[in-house]
Amino acid sequence: MKRLEDVKHHETEDLYYPTMCKVTGAKQITEMEKWYEIEMPNGQTLGHNPGQFVEVSAFGIGEAPISISSSPSKGSKFELCIRQVGTLTNVLKNYEAGDMIGIRGPFGKGFPMEKLFGKDILVVAGGIGLVPLRSLINYVLDNRKDFGRLIILYGAKTPSELLFRDELEEWKNRDDVELHVTVDQADETWEGNTGVITTLIPSLDLKLNTTIAAITGPPIMYKFVVMSLKSKQLPDDQIYLSLERRMKCGVGKCGHCQINGVYCCQDGPVFNYVDIKPLEEAL
Amino acid sequence: MECFSLLRSDVPALINHLGDFGEVIAPHGKGDVSYSFEVVKDNSEVVLDYNRTLLPLKKMFLPPVEKLMDFSLKEVTYEKVDVAITPRVFFAVHSYEMQSILRLDHSMLSGSAESNYFKRRQSSRFVGISFKPDEFHFSDSVGIAIEDMEGFDLFLNEVDGDFQLYVITDHGQTLIDGFDRKELTTPEIVDGREFKKKIRYHYNRLPRVFQYAYHSDVWADVASQCVGCGACNLTCPTCFCFDVQDEVTVTAEDGMRQRNWDSCMLSTFAEVAGGENFREKTVNRTRHRLYRKFKYITDEEGLPWCVGCGRCTAFCPAGISLPDIVNELIQEDEKAQYHRTVRV
Amino acid sequence: MKPQVAFFDFTSCEGCQLNKLNFENDLLDILKHVDLVEFREAMDDKADHYDIAFIEGSITSPSCVERIHDIRRRSDVLVALGSCAVNGGVNAMKNMHPIDEVRETVYGEDKYLFATLPAMAVSSVVKVDYEVRGCPMTQQDFLKLLIALVLGKQPPKYGSPVCVECKLKENECLYNRGMVCLGPITRGGCDAICPSFGQFCTGCRGILDDPNIDGMLEVMTSHGISLDEAKKRMQLYNSNEVQL
Repeated sequence: MKRLEDVKHHETEDLYYPTMCKVTGAKQITEMEKWYEIEMPNGQTLGHNPGQFVEVSAFGIGEAPISISSSPSKGSKFELCIRQVGTLTNVLKNYEAGDMIGIRGPFGKGFPMEKLFGKDILVVAGGIGLVPLRSLINYVLDNRKDFGRLIILYGAKTPSELLFRDELEEWKNRDDVELHVTVDQADETWEGNTGVITTLIPSLDLKLNTTIAAITGPPIMYKFVVMSLKSKQLPDDQIYLSLERRMKCGVGKCGHCQINGVYCCQDGPVFNYVDIKPLEEAL
Repeated sequence: MECFSLLRSDVPALINHLGDFGEVIAPHGKGDVSYSFEVVKDNSEVVLDYNRTLLPLKKMFLPPVEKLMDFSLKEVTYEKVDVAITPRVFFAVHSYEMQSILRLDHSMLSGSAESNYFKRRQSSRFVGISFKPDEFHFSDSVGIAIEDMEGFDLFLNEVDGDFQLYVITDHGQTLIDGFDRKELTTPEIVDGREFKKKIRYHYNRLPRVFQYAYHSDVWADVASQCVGCGACNLTCPTCFCFDVQDEVTVTAEDGMRQRNWDSCMLSTFAEVAGGENFREKTVNRTRHRLYRKFKYITDEEGLPWCVGCGRCTAFCPAGISLPDIVNELIQEDEKAQYHRTVRV
Repeated sequence: MKPQVAFFDFTSCEGCQLNKLNFENDLLDILKHVDLVEFREAMDDKADHYDIAFIEGSITSPSCVERIHDIRRRSDVLVALGSCAVNGGVNAMKNMHPIDEVRETVYGEDKYLFATLPAMAVSSVVKVDYEVRGCPMTQQDFLKLLIALVLGKQPPKYGSPVCVECKLKENECLYNRGMVCLGPITRGGCDAICPSFGQFCTGCRGILDDPNIDGMLEVMTSHGISLDEAKKRMQLYNSNEVQL
């Protein structure tokens, strides 16, 4: 048990104060989602891992946990992509280049990149789940020779909800990326796959001993994707999932993000499936 | 450990003396039948015989509502709130309350160590006092004796209306330096006070009971009585969950960010912006509360995260009793064990 | 441009509107944010369009229905003010009796001259965007909503019971003083003002989502009141929300 006398003054932190950062780019990319590029002050870098998140704060509104969408290889700027679903995110849609925004973090555990080197990476992204996974995808692309195959499965509700369409096009045209996109409901313009994301899994040809799966999507999706991967005989410890919870403080104090005894903001949001399998509240 | 004799009538003089070190905070009467820790202004108002305060001593280290910053919406800037380090003496504190502060130390200082908490906790001194357990106390069942002196600098042990004054730490020695002490006249050893056993198992065995209790029917029974007011968490000395909110002034030009205690028993606690609620049903929340007290942290730290103060039970409008819940789980576990044995 | 706001009253005591006039120091600050275009208590003016319409009172007659539809058509945002508008409030107690009996009691033999409907929340007739609860609504709460709308943020929704604020103020629980209080299932946001002054909560801000009604009745009756009395207390402000 940690005791008061074990702690020195300089080891304590002002945990709840954001760093003021400048928005250097902003673009509405779908009806619901807006993309932002943010610059840290004084040439600092965020220093994140793919899969980590930041607490974004707007004064008068509050804070919300937002996944980092850019690869750490991008340098002093980083990117967020925010869906307008809450009080804060609805206000953020008014933010444009030049505005100042508060950032705390990065927080939590991202994807364990050291374990991913040399492996085939299978990305499974449902809806807005592509946002944190884009960080991983771009990291793999920026360090392409360090990884094996890059297989991306991406599902959205409708074609109009597809995110990062320019990049999807680019990934589609690369011969070192295997991209499979599906929508739940097609419209007249849609010529690709139709159906939930799990329909993309059975036909995959995976090398079981070298494939690592990285899954992010709406809560309902995880169970079914894991089930499909298991039926492909992919071992449990090669599956990573990034979970969403109400990560209010980001530093393991406020309690809102707890999954049974585990703090999602500290031990996650990226978990190995083996570690969350015993947690009843996880999936 | 030094021990002196202190007459009840000399306690006001002791409180005055402690005032030389800093602010003295002690139990006071509140409302018709309740008590509260307050800063001592008139030492005749300090209550030595009390069952429990409404809010735990935690409120002095992790305030129920705490301003974190002032901000300007116009300038998009903020100013930190400086937490002053003031010497404080907490007087007439019960052993379970002290143990709850030691547990809070762990919660707030392990991992990322919070400076606000640390500053308030620094230069705090604690003077304990023995108490007569009422029908709600069960600290003894979670391994905390009435005379447990861990964490205290001084301790007042009541014997026949007067006190034995124990000097436990160097800080305690400094606190009473210059105070007119009397040699001990009463015997030093006091028999354990009458403490009715409230939880049937030794607390060491509880994590095992909880290991198998996740799907117990007991949770649904509790949920059917629970009205979801959050009183159990909000009065709990080891709960530390909070929420953060921004308040804007009427000019809409500036405001402040503040945090306030929150409760995992409230229905919105685990709800995210998109509307998904990860602990939507009362039954899941009642279970989570008890698992936080007897399983999750306990597995790692080896101690129950409940100190047996009895607040959650005494202040529950529905009369839900924490020891009763634990005993029901124990009973269920025994039945299940019996069936397991029979099957073999 | 400042948003054009208007206030309208339906069946109510008009206490909520009067409450707004008591803002005194804050009134000038409020007027920095908005233009008042219609407010019977304070001025006389009519406009074709409102950015924000504040509605006080419940809907109790066919003419009310017509009028609220008209206001809704002319308003971008519509806010229900006070318990009568939000859920029918005390007016809705009449809904527990047959409507004919109610008319007879109030109007006697002239009852056929006055068309009447069950007392309804504004939201049961037209779309309500936001609400300020309470009887009367508090100035504090109204200001919070107004500032939120000015800032473009979502006004606060109170999902926690009165007990939370009451506990944070370290009030002695009124159940410990032998009273029966509706705090555990009543929506907070009032700063627990009644219990803080020793008055038990009567539920004026409405019942929480997904309340444990049976559990609450059990709490009330186990503290010394009859089941019938417990139900009546629960329904005082909430006949439309709590069907017993």
